[in-house]
Amino acid sequence: MLKSWKLKEVVLMSVFSVVFAVVYLLFVHVGNIWSGFIGPIAYEWIFGIWFIVSIICMYIIRKPGAAVLSETITAAIEVMIGNAVGPRLILSGLIQGLGAEAAFAATGYKRFNWWVLVLAGIGSAVFSFAYGFFVSGYAALSPSYLALMLGLRVMSGAIIAGFGGKWVSDGLLATGTLRGYAISLEKRATSIG
Amino acid sequence: MGKLKEKNAPIRTSIVMKLDNVTFRFPEDDKPILQDVSFVIHQGERVVITGQSGSGKSTLLYLINRLYPANCDGILSGEITLWDRQHEDYLPGEVNARIATVFQDPDAQFCMPTVEEEMAFTLENLNVPGIEMEKRITEALEATELTHLRHTVIQTLSGGMKQRVATACAVLMQPEVLLLDEPLSHLDPFTAREYVTWLDELQTKYGWTVVAVEHRLDHWGDFFNRRLQFVGGFVEHSDAVVVPPIVFNKRKSTLTTETVFEAQGISVEVNGKSLLEDVSFKLKSGEIAVLAGPNGSGKSTLFKAICGILPLAKGCIETGRTYPGYVPQSPEHLFVTQRVEDEVLFSKEAVPELVGDMMRRLRLDDIADSHPFAISHGQKRRTAIAAMLTEKRPVLLLDEPTSGQDEAALHELHRLVHTRAAEGLAVLIVTHDMSFAASVADTVFLLKEGQLTGQFLAEDVWQNESLLLAHSLLPPSGGILYGTS
Amino acid sequence: MVLHEQLHEMNPAMKFLVVVVSMLTLAWFFNPWTPALFFVGVVLFQFVCSLINWKLWLLLMIPFVITAFGYLWTTVLFAAEAGGTVIWTWKQFEVTDAQWTRALSLAFRVIAFSSISLLFALTTKPVTFVISLMQQFRLSPKLAYGIMVGYQFLPVVKEEFIQIRHAHRLRGVGVEKWWWQRIYGMRRLLIPLLAAAVRKAERAAFAMEARAFTGKPRTTFFKPVPVRIHDWILVFIFVMLLVISGLSGVLFMNN
Repeated sequence: MLKSWKLKEVVLMSVFSVVFAVVYLLFVHVGNIWSGFIGPIAYEWIFGIWFIVSIICMYIIRKPGAAVLSETITAAIEVMIGNAVGPRLILSGLIQGLGAEAAFAATGYKRFNWWVLVLAGIGSAVFSFAYGFFVSGYAALSPSYLALMLGLRVMSGAIIAGFGGKWVSDGLLATGTLRGYAISLEKRATSIG
Repeated sequence: MGKLKEKNAPIRTSIVMKLDNVTFRFPEDDKPILQDVSFVIHQGERVVITGQSGSGKSTLLYLINRLYPANCDGILSGEITLWDRQHEDYLPGEVNARIATVFQDPDAQFCMPTVEEEMAFTLENLNVPGIEMEKRITEALEATELTHLRHTVIQTLSGGMKQRVATACAVLMQPEVLLLDEPLSHLDPFTAREYVTWLDELQTKYGWTVVAVEHRLDHWGDFFNRRLQFVGGFVEHSDAVVVPPIVFNKRKSTLTTETVFEAQGISVEVNGKSLLEDVSFKLKSGEIAVLAGPNGSGKSTLFKAICGILPLAKGCIETGRTYPGYVPQSPEHLFVTQRVEDEVLFSKEAVPELVGDMMRRLRLDDIADSHPFAISHGQKRRTAIAAMLTEKRPVLLLDEPTSGQDEAALHELHRLVHTRAAEGLAVLIVTHDMSFAASVADTVFLLKEGQLTGQFLAEDVWQNESLLLAHSLLPPSGGILYGTS
Repeated sequence: MVLHEQLHEMNPAMKFLVVVVSMLTLAWFFNPWTPALFFVGVVLFQFVCSLINWKLWLLLMIPFVITAFGYLWTTVLFAAEAGGTVIWTWKQFEVTDAQWTRALSLAFRVIAFSSISLLFALTTKPVTFVISLMQQFRLSPKLAYGIMVGYQFLPVVKEEFIQIRHAHRLRGVGVEKWWWQRIYGMRRLLIPLLAAAVRKAERAAFAMEARAFTGKPRTTFFKPVPVRIHDWILVFIFVMLLVISGLSGVLFMNN
């Protein structure tokens, strides 16, 4: 799978992961420990933040595997930086990435419209929820509470990761720095007609 | 777009590389960036390729070390011969084992945390047997006088040291050719001069063929012995490798007597560490002042303190109705919108009627609709200045505006600050470039270890070589002072 | 070899595998004893076989304990039907013993996971971990060194983040009060950071390729990360810990 990848694309995913790690660490997470008291639902609405890297990377690079790889790399870098959640992040990253990848694979890696990106966000949400159901033992929770959790997570995946990912990537594309990546070439192809 | 005309190709030693009618185009572009380029480089030569930014000189370098065309899916025609074989006959990585490269950005040419790990990475790429690695690393570190940095984390080093580490990695590879991609552009003149002397000794020792691309030759002294020059799309062969220093017109001072800014005994502490101690100075309307000093002496901290970004531990600032405006070394850090005009209009203070005039004066009207990240560096700086001026900032602070700029850009900068001062603004510039400073400054402030070591009339500083050297500065190169206005 | 260095010296790839397997195994147990025993075992193990800063350990455990508490009351309050006898009622709200046991088990699971995660985080060198993944698990060098580049860029990106926030402060943005403003304002921060990241990524990749990096599996290593007999002994101890805590948990429950 990695044969067709340019090194600069792999490194791009990795440096993007670091950017998101830093933004999360210094900007979003500050003073957030206390939400732990609220229970597992506290983070649901913001869960999409975790999926956004895979959607941005796939939207820019457009190669099979971009979503899984970027999400797994992000998790690996979090572990290296010293995230106390540790190795299980890599597993959950892999699974979230697979969720997003599934959406892109279903469209044959040919479409990158807003709805495919939203679908990818939802895919990540569903996959990660299934994983959480097993690992964190959500089976002990009542179905209505679970439905609420899943609903929030899917919403977050669709809005923050799907729309948000497109919004950020389009902003980045406008800066002209993405020359040499699939997203710019496609833009040129459509503008020529 | 350069057509290379080879004049009297020197036949001294064996041919290392030969380019024949090389034309190259990026897939995003309609026009080729290189057209019909032909030249020959011989063993042991020190060749420099010069030209303005965007002329395709780096592209040429990346073609030689085979980063292109694969990395950008570019379209290449013509022939590149390296030693006895065609360029495309080499396996991936094979060329790079014989041609080492040092790039321009000191922050972005390493992949491992420490110097030793980075060197090990390099040797592992070359499949050097494990037992030999230790020996080669030790030797390369000794040859480059970097042994003391062996276990240092690279990202904690200064720019100059990072460039030496990158060069040491090249030494380690035992290459035949060394490519240099503007290796001085992020270094201050003092560090750049030291690097060139150091490199000169290494080249003499190892006898590499050196091919460099460079936008400014003034720090290189007589390092090169041949020059390929991109002029107006054509490339000429020239032996003029020692260039005269850039001559700026000496400006007529616009200094007035009205004080617009005063800092009184200011100190700054960050995380309990004192970064700035008891600094006092004044700026007058129409004054251009230069702030200089070694890296880490607190210049950026001073800037951030006087425009209200960092809190003062002691002292006070009198600056009229708003803080000074600040243009960081990367002007795009200031940008918060998607259009140049919106950027200028962003401030709550902005008076839309005046913005049109501002855009015209700073020559931004043609790019009003462009994305502020997608314009040239000079345009970015003008956009940032325009944004600061619409906020009616009485003082303009420019952080390292000369770094990495070519001659044309420096002349433009010179005009730009002079015009702003003539309009009554006070301008304070951080720069290491004393040649530029000598051509614009009314006043010079020298800073060392968080303290102002003195305030000088510009003319008095330049002769005082020991004072300048004590602040890691080179005196301005000759000729500038005698320019006329 | 000194006992106190064992966990620090353990092969990181194998340590990683052990941690993941432990987690996936613990996920099958819904009694509070198994995770509790496992937690005690991990802490004892770490006490004997590692030299870590226990103050830091305690500090890092705090958020996990809070999270465990969140799990506890959530699982009590929003419990699924589990049968059993009612042990506590408040108005129409009832908690059965089975529900309480499950809630406790999930809370302890959070604690057990955290202890093993911290064991990994506090005894493993990041760079050795990635190199070990490459040597033991055949992780592609392209990925491994790609990850390494990102890691060493961390201080550069952090510095840039600070510079951008400073510059934005000058323009009066980045001082948003509400979380939704912060999320919206994130794009302003992200775009310059990502644009710089794109440039850095390309330059770093070029620098690596210019040093003859091809992404092919490596034949030699400067510092091989070996798998030694000690590693297998440590793996065995972990497995025993899992088996013992698993079995005794089930036994205690059936009494």
